[in-house]
Amino acid sequence: MSRTNLAVENDEIRSAGGYILTVHDLYRHFGGINAANGVNLNVGRREIAGLIGPNGSGKSTLFSLVAGTIKPDRGQIHFDGHEIAGMSPHRIARLGLARTFQIPAMFDNMTVTENLLAAAAQDHWQGAHERAADTLSLLKLEHVADNRASDLSGGQQKLLEFGRVIMRQASLILLDEVTAGVHPNIRKIMLEAIARLRERGISFLIIEHDMEMVRNVCDRIIVMDSGRVVASGSFNEIVRNSEVMQTYLGRPQ
Amino acid sequence: MKYRWVSLVPLIAAIVLLALLPALVNNYWLRIATGALMWAGLACSWNMLGGYAGYINFGQSAFFGLGAYTSALLMGDPLSLPFFATIPAGIVVTAIFAIIIGAPTLRLRGAYFAIATWAFAEVLTQFVNVVDFTGGIGGLNLPPFLDERFFYFTMFAAAVLTYLVTWALFERSRFGLKVKALRDHEPAAEAMGINTALVKLQTFLLSAVTASVFGSIFAYWVTFINPKSVFGGDITDQMVVMVLLGGLGSLWGPAIGGVGLFVVNRLIWMNWGDTAFYIAILGAAIVLVVLFLPNGIVGLFAKRPARSGTVLDKAVNRLAGGEGGHS
Repeated sequence: MSRTNLAVENDEIRSAGGYILTVHDLYRHFGGINAANGVNLNVGRREIAGLIGPNGSGKSTLFSLVAGTIKPDRGQIHFDGHEIAGMSPHRIARLGLARTFQIPAMFDNMTVTENLLAAAAQDHWQGAHERAADTLSLLKLEHVADNRASDLSGGQQKLLEFGRVIMRQASLILLDEVTAGVHPNIRKIMLEAIARLRERGISFLIIEHDMEMVRNVCDRIIVMDSGRVVASGSFNEIVRNSEVMQTYLGRPQ
Repeated sequence: MKYRWVSLVPLIAAIVLLALLPALVNNYWLRIATGALMWAGLACSWNMLGGYAGYINFGQSAFFGLGAYTSALLMGDPLSLPFFATIPAGIVVTAIFAIIIGAPTLRLRGAYFAIATWAFAEVLTQFVNVVDFTGGIGGLNLPPFLDERFFYFTMFAAAVLTYLVTWALFERSRFGLKVKALRDHEPAAEAMGINTALVKLQTFLLSAVTASVFGSIFAYWVTFINPKSVFGGDITDQMVVMVLLGGLGSLWGPAIGGVGLFVVNRLIWMNWGDTAFYIAILGAAIVLVVLFLPNGIVGLFAKRPARSGTVLDKAVNRLAGGEGGHS
């Protein structure tokens, strides 16, 4: 109980600026496993929130529930003035929520440029070609603009996936381990891009295992375990919470 | 993506040659050319959904047959409508059936859609076989019109229109981007705000009504149709092989495969009569393409042909039960 209280207090502190995302009492089970077991969390406007926790703690399930690819058993998800729990993924996307996939979800038979254009084809077509060119240069992918997406390296695919999210002109971006296993140069490009997007007022919820990345990028850390949020706070608060550190994260470097 | 003027030269040359063909060859070869244009168009219709969207349809002959029977019924007694009025009627009938079949099944995995379309074509064939107004197994006669040039030019116009629409919609528009995106990764396409169920249904509709138009022209051309000649499963089989051989998901692949295989078919028929030899060639073509030529004949001309995650991979994965056509 005490750990949950910590989360609530921190959320109250941030409520002043208003929330872009509010998840309330969200449940979803698969067979006997409660992948979401009463999740409560908020993401503030312009906030970069990091979501951490051991494997199987329900982080990716939470992403799928918020993005609409999995329907909740019960609970509410409030996004930018809309109740989106149970809504289809494309409708949620059109409201301004964008996401990446844990395994890069390339449009393999399309070129890099076409991948970017496809992300804008539905609802942001105006000026899409110019924005695709800008995105290519921001992510330093100009030299592979006409390559098939499946011919890219793993790191380049992660960049392209990120680029498609940029093309969505979203207000909240969910990133699922975008920097896992990528070359430091590519990670640097991504971090710069995240900073640039935040300047535009975009909020982020980021699943991340790399604590260095979490420390450098995230305004606040949300810790999940066994399908619920067990702690929330600044990086230092979380690190000082020795119980959380030992149980879920191991010792900091 | 970028078409230069140079690449249009062979295309314009081909169109001019095809337009002049009736002046150059006799009626026998003109009939073969008419058939080749029809198969190029039918293969293209199948490729719209199978190649661009990655959904394998094993019942495309149903829509060819619906067009043929609608035209035959409306041109016969008692209505005796003019031929060109029956083409839109065939389109409407086909569209209704396509929505009834496609709306529920395109939401499911590819395998269910493939089975549903196959079953639909079978049911329709049996239905046409047993009811009276279609003439049952005996089929229907249409008012004979023996002008080979008329049918050549009509088929030519339909084929040109089919490829023009395919080029504009699938290669040159936002709609094409959406279709290809859902083919390559359906959940990611949804995450881009694309209503994949709707886009698939639109593609299926276009594919179906295109086959229906060729069915209408075919019925009037041959003046006699029966369930086997316009609903037969071998009609779908041929479209599939033509597209695979030419290049799944490409603009010109179906034209190359369609014309190539139909001409081979006629040459075999001329030299050895009605043999099973052609079927053996179709079978061998499928095996060779799947093993060695996943991008078809057009893949041979690609600068960097795709090796992994090809359009064929996507369609096969989806058929094997993969949810979004990705493994």
